[in-house]
Amino acid sequence: MTETLAAALFGFFATGYFVLGGADIGTGMMLPFLGRDGAERRQVVAAIVPFFLADEVWLVATAGLLIGAFPALEAELFSGLYPLIVVLVAAWIIRDVGLWARDRAWPAACDVAVTVGSWTVAGAWAWILAGLLTGVTDGVAGGAAVALLGAVVVALFALHGLSFAGLRLTGRPHERARALAGPVGDRATFALTAVVLAAAPLAAGARLEFAGAAADDATLRLLVPAVCAVLPLLLAGQAMTWWVFRHRVATPAGAP
Amino acid sequence: MDVLELARLQFALTAGAHFLFVSLTLGLATVLAVLQTRATVGRSPIHARMTRFWGRLYVTNYAMGILTGLVMEFQLGLSWSGLTHFAGNVVGASLAMETLVAFFVESTFLGLWIFGWDKLNRWAHLAAIWVVTLTAYASAYWVLVANGFMQHPVGAAPGEDGLRLTDAAAVLTNPSTLQAFWHVLAGALVTAGFFVAGVSAWHLLRRTPEQEFFGRSLRIGVFVAAPALFGSAITGGRQLQLIEEIQPHKWEAFSGGAGLARAGALLMLMAFAAMFFFSFLNVVLALSRRVVVTARPWHVALIAAIPLPYVAMISGWVFREVGRQPWVVDGLLTTRDALSDVSPAAIRFSFVTFVGVFAVLIAVNGWLLARQARRGPEPATAPLEVLV
Repeated sequence: MTETLAAALFGFFATGYFVLGGADIGTGMMLPFLGRDGAERRQVVAAIVPFFLADEVWLVATAGLLIGAFPALEAELFSGLYPLIVVLVAAWIIRDVGLWARDRAWPAACDVAVTVGSWTVAGAWAWILAGLLTGVTDGVAGGAAVALLGAVVVALFALHGLSFAGLRLTGRPHERARALAGPVGDRATFALTAVVLAAAPLAAGARLEFAGAAADDATLRLLVPAVCAVLPLLLAGQAMTWWVFRHRVATPAGAP
Repeated sequence: MDVLELARLQFALTAGAHFLFVSLTLGLATVLAVLQTRATVGRSPIHARMTRFWGRLYVTNYAMGILTGLVMEFQLGLSWSGLTHFAGNVVGASLAMETLVAFFVESTFLGLWIFGWDKLNRWAHLAAIWVVTLTAYASAYWVLVANGFMQHPVGAAPGEDGLRLTDAAAVLTNPSTLQAFWHVLAGALVTAGFFVAGVSAWHLLRRTPEQEFFGRSLRIGVFVAAPALFGSAITGGRQLQLIEEIQPHKWEAFSGGAGLARAGALLMLMAFAAMFFFSFLNVVLALSRRVVVTARPWHVALIAAIPLPYVAMISGWVFREVGRQPWVVDGLLTTRDALSDVSPAAIRFSFVTFVGVFAVLIAVNGWLLARQARRGPEPATAPLEVLV
């Protein structure tokens, strides 16, 4: 019972990461498309930055739950996917440095870091998910099916990023986001790409062998209730973030 | 170098880099929370400006702390799956608690604090920095639950497949955890105190226009660092007694021999002694508001002393962790047995990648911190802008 609940929590945090983190990763991928000059790109980055901290914690929590609740599964996945995870984490760092530093120094270099980092993060995830979807959990998968599935996941990240940009931007960058993301309205588009992107980790997770990989019952009976107890606080912080930063980012008039 | 040595060195560099950033952020968060409380409750403009100026430096440093922390979390899975396999029921669970109960909240509210500066009302904004500070403490505690267990495994018994948790209360109140926790908190405040005093001294030495701002900041730095040093001495001394009781092999490494653990311990004690005597002088000089802004040789000494707490922190940590060798979980699991089944090529790839990324991170962080610190606070009339 606690094991099932732990697996459900794991799925919840993983899905949360792909929906929320995927949004700012996708917008980062589309940075050169959405913003054609320095001021526009600054606007696009300004649309992401209030969210990226609150988004990436979902992945940290997912990894934490994996280590704490399913150590055997963690050992299998991490050693099998070693090179992809190294690339993922390195690209994640490069992207975040770009986001942090853009308003402080070297904006052009930071834009490159954000764009390249976001594509690499999305690519690493696409490869990992495609491998899991084809049933490979103990190594880096290859082959045409993996390449095809991976390309689809990368495209999903990009589309989801555009729909997030549609929620957050105004002016020309907003028009560009809308042109690709469709005519159904910004919120509906975001909901649609969110659902589609959420399906990817859920389908991949269904391939994982949770049974038998879980931590000891004595541990789970402490860990799972503790996580459930703090869950409302975690979600309140997330809701507050979305409420405080609900307004679109206007075109910067006299950007410093 | 073989795989084990590379994996150890990689983890040591990651954890060491992380610890350098964390020691400043943990202390500076506390200073900021108090400054912002004074600014908010007392409606004090100078404290509001101080919160902004030191807050900028804090945020830069914090970003680096997060990024190195990420690598650490993933590296545990990548290189040390033997540890999570053998002791996952205790170590893995406390790291899971750290990510979920502490870091998740901390990082979310940090985002609200940084980017919500002129969007949240001032009380909500003040609450955000306190949430960040308290969850940062919680984060340190949970990490030290895992680390304390590796030093002194209590509350668990060997099962058929690794250790099983038998007494959660014993794990949570492990003396090796609790004493290290207070010691790290005190050390973090020392680091922040020396940092604030040193940066302020630089501005006073250069006679930048903000004499009052940095005179006050310098005094804050000095009066935070001095009592924190006492605290770190008391908690450090108690830890040494504890080590003699629970980790005799580490005590031997400390009291004799010529290993890295002993070198770390001696360097830590020397850095501590230097700070301790220097702090006496600081407190005496800082009593006079006139001396604070005019004593130029003292300013030079304060600037030169900024690295001292870092030296003490990192060498003390080397003593704690190297002294535990060859065990990863003291007396139960050797470091070699904790190593994942990774190929030499894979570990070389990740070593080069992460060391390269870290070198860039540390350089960028140092450069940004120095530039922001030199630039000084914004004029009181400056329009509000996002703190990025």
